[in-house]
Formats: sequence, C-alpha cells, structure tokens
Amino acid sequence: MTQSSVGIRLENVSAVFRHPDRGLVPAVREIDLEVRPGELLTLLGPSGCGKTTTLRMIAGFQEPSEGTIHIGDKDVTRVPANRRDIGFVFQNYALFPHLSVFENVAYGLRVRRMKPVEIAPAVDQVLAMVGLDGFGGRLPSELSGGQQQRVALARAIVIRPRVLLFDEPLSNLDAKLRLQMRDEIRKLQKMLGTTAVYVTHDQDEAMAISDRIAVMEDGRISQIGTAEDLYRRPASAFIAQFIGRANLLAGTVVERSDGMVTLETAGQRSAFRSAVLAVPGETLCAVLRPESISIGNTGDGMVAKVASSTYLGDKIEYSVIVGEDALKIVRFDPPEAERFEAGEEVRIRFPREGVQLLPAKR
Amino acid sequence: MQAAVIIVLWLLLALFVVYPLIELILTAFTGDEGYTLAPLVSALGNGHHLRAFRNSLLLAFLVGLLGTATGFLFAYTAERAELGRAGRRAFGLVTLLPLISPPFTTSIAFVFSFGPQGLISHDIFGMQNANVYGLRSTLVAESLTYFPLAYLALRPLIASIGGNLEEMAFSLGSSRWHVFRTVTLPLTVPGLANAFLLLFAASLADFATPLILAGNDLPVLPTEAYLQITGMFDLKAGAILSLMLLVPAALVYFAQRRLVAGRSYVTVTGKGGGQALHQALAPTARLLLIAACASICIFILYLYALLVYASFVVAFGANDTFTLASYRAVFTDGMTAIEDTLIIALIGMPLGGLYAVVVGYLVCRTKFRSRQAMEIVSMINYALPGTIVGIGYLIAFNKEPFAITGTALIIIACYIFRYSPSGIRTTVALLQQIDRSIEEASFSLGAGSFATFRRVMLPLILPAFFAGLGVVFIRSMTAISATIFLISINWTLVTVRILENMTELSLGIAAAFSVFVIVVVLVVTGILNFFLRRMTSPELRRSLSGYSA
Repeated sequence: MTQSSVGIRLENVSAVFRHPDRGLVPAVREIDLEVRPGELLTLLGPSGCGKTTTLRMIAGFQEPSEGTIHIGDKDVTRVPANRRDIGFVFQNYALFPHLSVFENVAYGLRVRRMKPVEIAPAVDQVLAMVGLDGFGGRLPSELSGGQQQRVALARAIVIRPRVLLFDEPLSNLDAKLRLQMRDEIRKLQKMLGTTAVYVTHDQDEAMAISDRIAVMEDGRISQIGTAEDLYRRPASAFIAQFIGRANLLAGTVVERSDGMVTLETAGQRSAFRSAVLAVPGETLCAVLRPESISIGNTGDGMVAKVASSTYLGDKIEYSVIVGEDALKIVRFDPPEAERFEAGEEVRIRFPREGVQLLPAKR
Repeated sequence: MQAAVIIVLWLLLALFVVYPLIELILTAFTGDEGYTLAPLVSALGNGHHLRAFRNSLLLAFLVGLLGTATGFLFAYTAERAELGRAGRRAFGLVTLLPLISPPFTTSIAFVFSFGPQGLISHDIFGMQNANVYGLRSTLVAESLTYFPLAYLALRPLIASIGGNLEEMAFSLGSSRWHVFRTVTLPLTVPGLANAFLLLFAASLADFATPLILAGNDLPVLPTEAYLQITGMFDLKAGAILSLMLLVPAALVYFAQRRLVAGRSYVTVTGKGGGQALHQALAPTARLLLIAACASICIFILYLYALLVYASFVVAFGANDTFTLASYRAVFTDGMTAIEDTLIIALIGMPLGGLYAVVVGYLVCRTKFRSRQAMEIVSMINYALPGTIVGIGYLIAFNKEPFAITGTALIIIACYIFRYSPSGIRTTVALLQQIDRSIEEASFSLGAGSFATFRRVMLPLILPAFFAGLGVVFIRSMTAISATIFLISINWTLVTVRILENMTELSLGIAAAFSVFVIVVVLVVTGILNFFLRRMTSPELRRSLSGYSA
C-alpha cells in the first residue's frame, strides 16, 4: 500500500498577480517551506493570506514569479500540473458532471493508458476505501455533498500520487459532516503514507488533522510548528489570537531578575517566568489564555471588575475589566455556588509559568 | 496551435466583417474628387431619404412599445396565471412560430386577411378595395413577428422575481395590484427597457414586412436602400441610406450592451427565489390576462391557418377550389431555389457551429492579446441590420481581389458571420457555468490540454454546438435582408422566390413556399433538439448548474 514518501521544498517562492486597477499585487512573498515525507502539513490563515496560491503553485496550476519548488529531488518549478504526479482535492469537488462516479475515478487511470482490466479493480478498491461501493454508476449530481467529496478524494488517490493537495475540501459541507470527513481524510492519508498539503482557514480543522501547521499572514509564513507549539508558544499576537482564544494584556516592564519579568498594568503588578530580553520601561504583551486565568473573591492577584458573565452549561465565560483592558476568563465545570455577577469586584490570578511575552502591538 | 487558430480567425474576420464595412463607408463618402462629405450632405437634404429615416425610427419606436407590451403580457401570464397544459402548449407554439417563419409570412397572411380580397375586410365586412398597406398593418405585423423576443427575454426575469419578494410584500399587507405596481413592475423595468431595445433594433432592420405592407406612403430605410440598388442601380445611394441606418442601430446596440452589462436587478441565482406566489393574481385579473393572451394566440394561429388554406386553393378569395397546383409549382419551378437554399444551409451549419464553439472557447477560456477585440468584432455583423451587411458584401466582393459575387461562398460566409454569434454567446454562457477547477482537475490527474479539451470540455460544450447549428440553419432558411443583395443566377434562395411570387401576385405559391419552409425548419430543429436532449440528460443539466461559480 505505502510507497516511499517524498518531501516538498519551496525556496524563496513569490507570486504576483496583475490586478486591473492596482497593477502588480504580491500574493505570496519569498516563502521558504519544507514539507517532510509522509507528513500532513496545513497552510492556515485568513482569506487573502496567500495559502491557496501557495498550494496552487505546488500543484502547478500557477507558476511562481520567483523561487523554486522541489517535489522529492526533482525541480518541478516549470513542470506543468499534468506531469507532477499530484492528487488535488478541490473546494467545489470539480467532478466531471458528464461522467459517472466510476468514470470520474477512472479518469486519471485512462489518461495514464492503464489496461481496462486493471482499471475496474483499482477503481472499485478506492471506492470501497471511501465508503462508496455500489455508487459507480451514478452521476455526480445524484450524490450528496459529502458523497461528492468522497468521489473527489477517491479520484485523487486512485492514481497513487506522490503528493496529495487539499484546497479547503470541507468548507462546502455542513458542520457534522465536516468533523466526520476530516477524520476520514486523516486516516486515509496516514494509511497511504502520502505527503499531503492541506489548506484551510479553520483553526480547529487544522489542529485536528495536521502533523504540522504553517500559519500564513499577508503572503508570508509567520510561524510553523505542531498545533501545541503554536498554541503554547505563539510567535506573534496575530498567531496567539488566530490559534485558540487569547487575551493580550499590555504592561510596562518594571523589574527583571532570576528569569522572572514583572509587568505593571493599571498600577497592578504580575510576574511571569520568561527568558525574554526586556529592559525596564519597555511595553510587553502577555498572552493569557482564558482558561488559564483563575478568578475568586479573595486572596492575592489583580483587582478586576466583572463586566458580564455567561452561563453555558459546561462552562461560564466572564468578561472582566482591568484598567482599560477587558479580559475573557473561562471557568470549566464551575461549582454551583460559584457565580460572579456583573459589577462585582474580583481577584484574578495569572499562571507564572508558560506565558508568552510578546512585543506590544504597534 | 492556438496561435495559428487565432491568426486564421482574425484573417477571416478581417475579410468578412471589417473589410466589407470599410468598403461600404468608403463608397458612401467617395465623390468624383476623392473622399468627401458631399453625398452625406445631399442625402440629408433629400426629403425622401429623410422621410424614410423618420419613418424607420417611428416604426421601430412603436414596434418597440407594442411588442414589449405584448411580450410582457405573455411572460407575466405564463409565469403567474397558472396555465394548464393546453395553455402552455399554445404559448409555446405562438411564440415559436414567428421566430422560425420565413420573413414574409405575417405580411402575406395580413394581405389574405385584410387586403382587397381579404377574408375579414372583403368577405366579412364587405369592403371594396380595402387598403391593408400603411403604418398600422406594418406596425401590427412586425409586433406580432417580434414580440417573442421580448417574451423570451422577460419570462426568466419575471420567474426570478417570484416567490419570496412578492410574498414579503403580501405579508406587509399590500393588495395584489399594489404588489404588482410597487414590486414586480419596478424590478422588471430594466428588463423591459432591454426588450424594447431588442425590438427597436429588430424593427429597424426589418426589410421584409415593410416591403410588402408599408406601401408607397411609408418608405423606410431598408426598403429604400434596396429599391435604390435594384431599381435604380445606384450603389452609392444605397450605401448612404444603409449608413443612415447604422447610426440608430449602433446607438441602440451600445445602449443595450450597457443595460445588460450593468444590470443590478434580480438575476437568476438559483437560490431564494422559490416558487411563484400561489394565486398571485385575483381571479378576475387572471381571467382577463388569459383572455387577452388567448385572443392574440387565436389571431396568430388564424393568420397561419389562412396561409395554409391559401396554399391549397386556386386563388384565395376568388376561387376557393382545392388544388395542389401551388405545391406542384414549388417542387418544379421552385426546386432549384430549394436545392440551393438547402445546400447553402447544410454547408453553413457545421461550419457556423464549429466557428461559434471555437471563438466562444477562445474568448472565454484562453488569454491572448486581442481577445476582447475578437469578441467585439465577431459580434459586429450580428448587431448590424442585414441591409448594411448585404450592401457591404455586395460592394466589397464584386471586385478583385476577392471577387466572389455570384458564388455560394458569399452567401455561406454572410450567414456564418452574421448568425454564428448567437452560438458564440451560448458557448460563452455554457463555459461560464463550468468552473475552471474542472479543467484543473483534469490536469492534476495527468491529462494534457488536448486530452482535457477532448474528454472534458468538448462533451460539455456540445449543447452549444448544436444550438449554434440550429440557429444557423433556421436563419439560412428564413433570412433575406442581407442575402437579397447576394443572390445570383447560379445561386438563389427560397425567401427570394417568395418575394418574387409576391410581386408577381402568385400569392398561393408564396404561401406554399412559406408553409414548406416552416415544415422543414420544424423537422430539422426537432431532430437537433432530439440529439441535444440525448446528449444532455436532465441530470447533466442540473449538475452543470450546480457547478456554476
């Protein structure tokens, strides 16, 4: 089943578009990216960040204006899509509407001039893998959205491509189906061992499906790492807020000693363990996850005022005011007696370890 | 490969679209001493020409109004009055017949009905020497001929307005009439304007109806140009008259383009429109609408029945004995014209269909420097009145280096470049529904561009090819305004024979020819539709619309 997997390497890749009014617009700026053999790497970012353009350049639908792309050891920068040996799964499925499910899946094999006697078993096998046995005779229009996406998946993997590319494949499906399909895609990809690049703007999806995630912003890759890396150690305020929810508490550095940095916000101090090089007087932002902040009536910690509280069954969400900043706090599985109401004065405490301190937002 | 195709297409367009137009303009503005505006000045000072110009505009304006109103009446009734099966059939027939009939059909039937020996004027009202000729009958005949254009343009629009919007207005407490006046009608206004312009252009270019029905008191530009050239052999006067036609025609064309391009009104989105409101009409209003449409339907069917009847009697109005003499004449004397017409149509059909698909594909799916220019130039002969195209061809191809007057080639070329653009439009519309990712999917699976075109794109645009074939065939059988200038002793056309029989007062034979053409067109388009339906199953059509971007 598995074949030897190959890596993908992008070096200094840029893409520019000719915009009718604005002239040349850069979509991707000097990207370096290494996808390891057999891994599933996700390009994650808001719309317009260049993730789809990057994927399309790997596929060969678009040529980079600068830089080189390698698949395995081969420089494919100028190789057209049909000679790159890729499988591409489109956002809108892009099934051939005039061909049956069977013929859609067989298409790549026929183009490769495989013998008809070998085509039928190969097609049946992948249709079974995606759970569509017996659907071969239908037309795409006779299938549901989820089934259509399975056909698209089967069509991409039947040719045993060296690289699988996914362009927001689940965005046209409803929420429940999305969860199910992403597990199936992941399972198939692991089973086949095919190197895959996956594009999405949904951070949950990215975290669930990927070995590693590359977060893109404005045509550049701003951070690359595992889901946990990105969550625990975001390299920028943008990533902190894009991956999960985060409070950014700005404070002035008042003291730095023994690996501890003390920040002062609205006249109140809090200390964090950090190796960051900061000089007193400088402004930093502490990345505080809502679930990591504790809240109580007494004890030490910062004084804050409750602005709102929302009961959600398994958790309560508070919004509290410290100085001029509003912080989100989440209390999971709260005891029945514990409930802070709007207007109440509370004490909040931050963890001393594992908090990222970032340069303040400009 | 692609570059070669583009070069060949440009050479053809230059030869058959640009060159004749330039020759026409040069002829109009060439005096004894080189280029001059003198001919134009004298034409504008010519009372007869100016009258023709005024009449043309007046007639086109009135036909635009009356035809659009009729088209709207039919479209609204079809979408809102919950017609039964018989009603829908009648609507389909009555709006199809005028589009596929040879040009003189309505005019001949008008003469049979309201002429000196007319069924209504003479036999029912006992009028002696009733005068059927003039503005009134020309107006009504043209409106009946062209209102299906308005109907076809307006019906999808009214359908798309339906449902939610009207329901919402109802839920706010509006009366039905109020909903119609404040919601439906305002949303249809740009569509009505578009339909008006379509009909204005059609009437402006119409040659056949005024030739028969306008009489001496209502000269219009296309007929005047024809008479100048064939009667007086004055090519220059014909050229100038046809250029006078060019100005309003071009204005209307650009106005319509702008209107369609910048349309902000409801379009078919496939979402949210929903079913038309149940009982959108008060029962009396519904009955009134149906009665109005039914009387127009009956009148049109009556005209066609007269035509068929007249083709089977010795002399309509004078001797009503049954005879097949007219058809015998059609299949003996008329046989050459029939053969010529069919040969020309059958050669033009595949060439025109292919031309349409190739140009449509290039314009829509590829990038080359002169892409937009090609799109515009390929539409010119379609947008111009036939009289201009015909006279342009006559002037350009009557001399070296392209002396092809008198051949079948000139007529075939005229048809292809004049009528294929509707096939180009269909191809473009179809391609726009096919997302580009379908092609990319094919590439990603290892197919090259040729394999992709053959295995994916060709099957998907085949319906446009067949639609293009149909239009070229219908027009080859029924057109006259351009080709009347291009026929010769060697190659003549059925439509021209109809005209000759009209002028010789062999009305029975003219009627028989018309009936023959209608039957042939119905049969051939029926066959084409059969293939079209075979090739595009309902599932395929549904899935195509499902893939629209």
